[in-house]
Amino acid sequence: MSKEAYTLSESEWPAEAIRDHFLHPRNIGDVELPAHSGCAASLSCGAAVRISLKVDQRQRISEVRFKATGCSVLVAAASILTEDVRGKTTGQAAARWQAGSGARGIISKFGSEAAGNEDCALLACEALLAGIKRFSDIVRDEWTGDEALVCTCFGVSEKTIENLVHRGCFQRVEEVTRACNAGAGCRSCWPLIQDILDQPNLAKPSNARP
Amino acid sequence: MIYLDNNATTQVAPEVFDAMQPYLTVRYGNPSSAHALGRQMKAAIERSREQVARLLGARDTAEIVFTSCGSESDNWAIRGVLEASPEKKHIVTTLVEHEAVRNLCLHLERQGYEITWLEVDREGELDLKNLRAALRPDTALVSIMLANNETGVLFPIPDVSRIVRDSSEALLHVDGVQAVGKIPIDLEELGVDLFALSGHKLHAPQGVGALYIRAGVKLPSFLIGGGQESGRRAGTSAVANIVGLGAACELAQDPELHSRIQKLRDRLEDEILRLIPNATLNGPAERAKRLPNTANISFEYVEGENILKQLDEVGICVSTGSACHSTTRESSPTLRAMNVPYTRAQGSIRFSLGRYNTAEDIDTTLTVLPDIVARLAEMSPYDEELRVLYNSRGAA
Repeated sequence: MSKEAYTLSESEWPAEAIRDHFLHPRNIGDVELPAHSGCAASLSCGAAVRISLKVDQRQRISEVRFKATGCSVLVAAASILTEDVRGKTTGQAAARWQAGSGARGIISKFGSEAAGNEDCALLACEALLAGIKRFSDIVRDEWTGDEALVCTCFGVSEKTIENLVHRGCFQRVEEVTRACNAGAGCRSCWPLIQDILDQPNLAKPSNARP
Repeated sequence: MIYLDNNATTQVAPEVFDAMQPYLTVRYGNPSSAHALGRQMKAAIERSREQVARLLGARDTAEIVFTSCGSESDNWAIRGVLEASPEKKHIVTTLVEHEAVRNLCLHLERQGYEITWLEVDREGELDLKNLRAALRPDTALVSIMLANNETGVLFPIPDVSRIVRDSSEALLHVDGVQAVGKIPIDLEELGVDLFALSGHKLHAPQGVGALYIRAGVKLPSFLIGGGQESGRRAGTSAVANIVGLGAACELAQDPELHSRIQKLRDRLEDEILRLIPNATLNGPAERAKRLPNTANISFEYVEGENILKQLDEVGICVSTGSACHSTTRESSPTLRAMNVPYTRAQGSIRFSLGRYNTAEDIDTTLTVLPDIVARLAEMSPYDEELRVLYNSRGAA
């Protein structure tokens, strides 16, 4: 079976694909430093996974590798996921594998082989997201642009969000995300967006600055 | 295929199949019928009863009652004792029993019975002081297994029996399912009141078991209906299966067998522990304290289910006590009770041998297993820990 035999756009993932990724997992190992890595572990089943990645100047994931101890579904999911995110921007990758949203939809296509092991596959997503968050935090901290950066994944500045909140009467992070994409990726900026929402002179138009 | 999962179930022996065949074809009578065909069936059942009694060292064939499986035997024994002494509400058992006993006791606990769960040490052994301390005037029953299905650890039933008899009025039920056919059994020496066994663990078919009820023990029926099994267990006898169980018991009377299997197991165990740096034995190193066919080995920092599936790919059948197997998400209760660390319990594999394993089976397993474990170790995020283990072993 060729390594390219299955892509995520396929309407269904045959059990054979999971088996193939489990028996011949791709991208095992650690990306050479400097790299960003994220870990996830399950207390209920003892599984653990670490994903490390390198991000290029255009914010695309250029290298990605994993190490895992866990069931075959976890190993297959980590293998599939690392194949999938290479070449995507951190924002695209994070949005796609965000636990609870896209990830579950993709995992459901794993078919009967993964039934009951969804949480194992989600562990791989969690590790990826942790790695991307770490990258985002570093980029944000080291940011030297004119306007402070909030959402690294989609390059949204503090000013943009403040303006939106000021005009739009937003109360929840999700509303901001819907309006400008900030927070749609790794979500490491959610607390920052919440801080902006909590500023009393911004939260309501009636309290607007003179 | 190399089958190293004989504690799960065993192949029906050709001799057993031959003995059964007439009862699946030409001898189809109901053993309760009065005609000649029926009488032949009845005679076949009684012959099997003698064969089972002989293997177990029961004094009287009437002490053996056929059931449908080991779980039925365990359920009948435990529920029957409780029904016979309704004023007693206390049961003593262990944390490492098979589900047939453990889950039934959990069920009874929810219904208001008080259960004392005896703990085991790191090697899976009981402290008999705890048993003595647990016994009370209202203890109806002590239910303790003879051999653990996962680790093969043998509990000292003669000592258990002495303590139960000396310090209480309780009856002693022993789940012997995993032991029968693997070690010689002498019920007189064990000193039990009730003893469960299952056919498919010793090369009889699935769907037949037996319960030994010591003469004098009053056990109300569990299955109520017709007068089969002298009125003790209703339901038309599964004659072919019962004949199969009898033939399997006959076959198990082979003094050479146990030592031949033990030699293979010892070699497998020794070599795995020698060749694989992150391998550790679960259970006492002293082999007399374990079944001669079982080796439960942990491969630390890798996942048992992964090893199982990789072995399966090359046609080797084993089982694992790790979390993601079958439908449960928790690691084996036996290994947890033994306080085996998580990273070790997750990588546990049970190798259980049987009469059809050969030296070649063991050689093949020893050829492929170290590579599989090394590959998975390379994939494990516990790289530092594994590097220490592999380096220290490599240097030695």
